[in-house]
Amino acid sequence: MARYDSLIDALGNTPLVGLPRLSPRWDAEHPVRLWAKLEDRNPTGSIKDRAALKMIEQAERDGLLTPGCTILEPTSGNTGISLAMVAKLKGYGLVCVMPENTSVERRQLLEMFGARIISSPAAGGSNQAVAMAKELAKQYPDWVMLYQYGNPANAQAHYEGTGPELLRDLPAITHFVAGLGTTGTLMGTGRYLRENVPAIQIIAAEPRYGEIVYGLRNIDEGFVPELYDDTVLTSRFSVTSYDALRRTRDLIEHEGIFAGISTGAILHAALSIGDRVAKDETATADIAFVVADGGWKYLSTGAYSGSLQQAAELLEGQLWA
Amino acid sequence: MAIEVKIPTILRTYTGGEKSVAANGATLIALIDDLDANFTGLKGRLITEDGSLHRFVNIYVNDEDVRFTGSLDTQLSDGDAVTILPAVAGG
Repeated sequence: MARYDSLIDALGNTPLVGLPRLSPRWDAEHPVRLWAKLEDRNPTGSIKDRAALKMIEQAERDGLLTPGCTILEPTSGNTGISLAMVAKLKGYGLVCVMPENTSVERRQLLEMFGARIISSPAAGGSNQAVAMAKELAKQYPDWVMLYQYGNPANAQAHYEGTGPELLRDLPAITHFVAGLGTTGTLMGTGRYLRENVPAIQIIAAEPRYGEIVYGLRNIDEGFVPELYDDTVLTSRFSVTSYDALRRTRDLIEHEGIFAGISTGAILHAALSIGDRVAKDETATADIAFVVADGGWKYLSTGAYSGSLQQAAELLEGQLWA
Repeated sequence: MAIEVKIPTILRTYTGGEKSVAANGATLIALIDDLDANFTGLKGRLITEDGSLHRFVNIYVNDEDVRFTGSLDTQLSDGDAVTILPAVAGG
């Protein structure tokens, strides 16, 4: 049944669709198939709805969030949009600390949902947003920082949701590929699949940004999310803007799926693994990957028009995942 | 054997501002030793005193994180591309 009492209840249970044209071998005796989990079908259009709802529900259970509270969160966009929707429906305020080099659509959506945005400098990317949010949390102790990078409820949302849904829809799953940001998707889904599927491979795709994003003053200012546990992963790929854009366009061109740029990066990693497996003509694989969001929020970046090279240059210095 | 190594902004003080340098080595650790011979002090920024890769440094060989391919013992071949990046937040 697809009837729900409220938007929040419509979260999850996203479709898993095959990629018959982009898979290395679809209809073959030994198929190597790709499957896209359409997380853009969530209420605000991204996978982050899962973590946002779970973090808020957990904070309510823990007594941290009470009616009228203000939530504070460092976010490059999607988590903020998801939190803003849930906060609006549940009657909380929201303050997002967001790097200034994120797309205009993300800002517009946040404002529409009634969130307050505090911009952090482009140089330093999300690291700077995290640092600023931690400072604000000290200044405003009555604000509740859910802190997606270290909040176990973020990964738990995927352990209880994304992972079981994938196994239900694709019992023969051999690989799971997702984006690495807070690491919540990969940690939660990865742990669930490792517990239930022998020899499953968990593959991370992380965005490789322009130089400004890595503008730390020294190495010790680096950041690894508290949720991250590298024993959950099998491999980890760094994907350039160019490759991410190329695959984002391939996805529309060949499969009709209009996805955001981070999904292009995830598909690039999935195809690298798929091609590696397919070198052995007798090998089979069912590779599931995450479509993290749709392309709508990135139209203003120029990602979908002009040459790939031009589009990649326009993305230089932008946070696109 | 020449391997291209991309250097992040933060470490270019060691390479005279060069974004990309060539180095040799059959393994990643051999390559880093070779880099250090030409750009003194670089190794100390990548590897901790106990000999492991610095927590906030990521090194990729042909876009794959070396922590999953053998870490400092990762094998290298002629024409490989090595990228060094500081760990930053996503999300």
